[in-house]
Amino acid sequence: MGESLSFVQHFEIWLRAYLILSLFSFLYRDNVFYKLSEHIFAGLSAGYYVGLIWQTVIIQQLVNPMVDNGHWWLVFPGILGVLMFTRLIPKWSWVSRVSLAFVIGNTAGIYIISSLHGLIFPQVASTILSLDTGNGFAGTLLALLVVVGVISTLIYFYFSKEHTGLLGATARVGIWFIMIAFGAHFGYTVMGRISLLIGRAEFLYYEWGGSLSQIF
Amino acid sequence: MRTTVPVIVAFLSGFVMVVSFFFNPDRTFIGRAQDVVLQWVTIVSGFTLVLGVFSIVRVNGRAVVRRTEDWPFKLATVISVFAMAIPAMLPVSTTSVGGKIFYSILPQSWGSWFGTGTGSIYDWLFNFVDSPMMETMFAMLAFYIASAAYRAFRARSADATLLLLTAVIVMLWRVPMGEAFLRLFGDSIPDYLNTFIMNGFNVAVQRGIIIGAALGAASMSLRVMLGIERTYMGKG
Amino acid sequence: MGFWENIQHIDRRWIYLLVAIAVFFPMIVVMHFPIEITPEARQLYEAIDALPNGSVVMLTFDYYPSAMAETQPMSIAALRHMFSKDMKVLTLSNIPLGGPSIAERVTREIALEYDKVYGIDFVNLGYKANYVAVMHGLASSIESIFPSDYSGTPLRDLPMMKHVKNYRDIEFIFVVADNATVDYWISIVNAQYGKPVGSGVTAVVAPKMYSFVDAGQMTGLLGGMKGAAEYERMVDISGSAIRGMDAQSLVHLLVIFFVIVGNLGFFMSRGKDGR
Repeated sequence: MGESLSFVQHFEIWLRAYLILSLFSFLYRDNVFYKLSEHIFAGLSAGYYVGLIWQTVIIQQLVNPMVDNGHWWLVFPGILGVLMFTRLIPKWSWVSRVSLAFVIGNTAGIYIISSLHGLIFPQVASTILSLDTGNGFAGTLLALLVVVGVISTLIYFYFSKEHTGLLGATARVGIWFIMIAFGAHFGYTVMGRISLLIGRAEFLYYEWGGSLSQIF
Repeated sequence: MRTTVPVIVAFLSGFVMVVSFFFNPDRTFIGRAQDVVLQWVTIVSGFTLVLGVFSIVRVNGRAVVRRTEDWPFKLATVISVFAMAIPAMLPVSTTSVGGKIFYSILPQSWGSWFGTGTGSIYDWLFNFVDSPMMETMFAMLAFYIASAAYRAFRARSADATLLLLTAVIVMLWRVPMGEAFLRLFGDSIPDYLNTFIMNGFNVAVQRGIIIGAALGAASMSLRVMLGIERTYMGKG
Repeated sequence: MGFWENIQHIDRRWIYLLVAIAVFFPMIVVMHFPIEITPEARQLYEAIDALPNGSVVMLTFDYYPSAMAETQPMSIAALRHMFSKDMKVLTLSNIPLGGPSIAERVTREIALEYDKVYGIDFVNLGYKANYVAVMHGLASSIESIFPSDYSGTPLRDLPMMKHVKNYRDIEFIFVVADNATVDYWISIVNAQYGKPVGSGVTAVVAPKMYSFVDAGQMTGLLGGMKGAAEYERMVDISGSAIRGMDAQSLVHLLVIFFVIVGNLGFFMSRGKDGR
């Protein structure tokens, strides 16, 4: 048994346990406890965004640099940000396009370079390799496997031409590769979901159980 | 005006990022322009997140006013938004302009409750109410995925069997008990699985998808920059 | 209805109950199977371990609270590893829901164990919107994107930040993530600014990451709770990931059992129907 818990710590543990169990109760059937927790969760999460943006963006990036350091030019992104809210007024909603275009255009510019230079080129370069990998037969087999797999997967997802003849046969090989890879992905997904449940179970068993054993 | 200005803004904002890639950011005008644009983009993007919250409050608030079905739950949502947001927005520092006015009315010791730092109401609500619920929402998926494995994961065809067998083998390999079991059939089996399934078949397919998606992202980005793709502007 | 048809239509709640039993059972009866280290996890550990003492490293908390069971043990083990080597740790989060709060709490908790002082040994930058712009912006000036840390202290008032101005002053970036931010740490920060990036990701994200590790774009990978357990073992701590491996094993076996029984039921009942 760990150290003795204070009243506040007991309260915090019981509050968390209640919320966890109220949500898990949905597994049995929908009920009022689940519904209430779900709605509080949605509200708090939305409120979290507001608090975070207020402090980290509006205060830290806009107000403080302008007031303390005299960075007056930050008034421009501030105005662009505020213009975003014209979206809520149908008559003026088109004004928000300017702000949106500024963000989306920038992201598009970043994506063009990062997609070509950061993803396509290095990924292609590490696919087209010499079969003499220096790792013996297994290395050669692996290198071959990757080349065949990448090409056949790309062809499977190429829908501009009907999958017949050689294209169809290659796409068929692509399906086998995809099935094996998605099987592995499914295995990983199961693993991930179970881990999350284990996290909750560990809280209930160790922390809530610890609190229970101290009280009773 | 309504579409031309946004198209020009989008082009210039993206053009800076493309061109600056080819120059040294420390020593060129375009590099400095990139820094300014990026700083501004992080600021403007912040407002878009808050925009979504406005909609949540508006939709739920209307439901409460009109006493629609389940309105008490919607009221709980609205109250929760404010309970989280308002304490976080109140000034922490007594030296700021807002803080000087605020703490001339309220005791200074209350300052630690406000803002977003450790010990604030915001932080407490996140840690003991919001976070446990979010963790639980996703933990529930474990039950659903187990149920789906029982009900829907069928070896109906050769392709499905291939998927199913790989999933089972990977599930065994990725846990200590399963790995110990696989080693009964040969000490190198887990290593082979890592090499050929994860670094072979998996890498090949993931790479194909990465390359395909990146080609799509690059062409879509070009369309946005050139003003061909305008769906982000909405109607009107 | 025969036996095989009956078990095909079993109430889903019995399945849920079996899963719950399988999760709780190993907490009562501890089994402790050995945890083997994968080459990808070892590569990450060795990359961090090879950094000279006192190096500046960046640790990102790019995950929502929903993924904490998988990712939190990675962050904790990484912080212990880094602080034990007297590294200066710079944390940030690209997640607007929970990430910055989690980073603040966890980093301060672990720092206490190693007598590390905020502002000198570690700094939490917090969050700024639009992660691709943030990642780019940090390349020329951290201060232009983050004028202050998460609590609002100006960066120029923090001693550690006097020597950390941009990526050039950072030796290694360890991305702990449950979403696509990791792709951009690779395609922007690693590709354009040449920073070595290692990652600890949720199991759902992990399969894609193998492609980056294989291409040499990523230096090491931890996948899911098992990956976290591997890292905990290498750092030699007994954390929640190692503790969770027994339950993980048992539920995996249960899911495999479900798949087998479900398929047996499917084929047996199909055979009877003469289909």
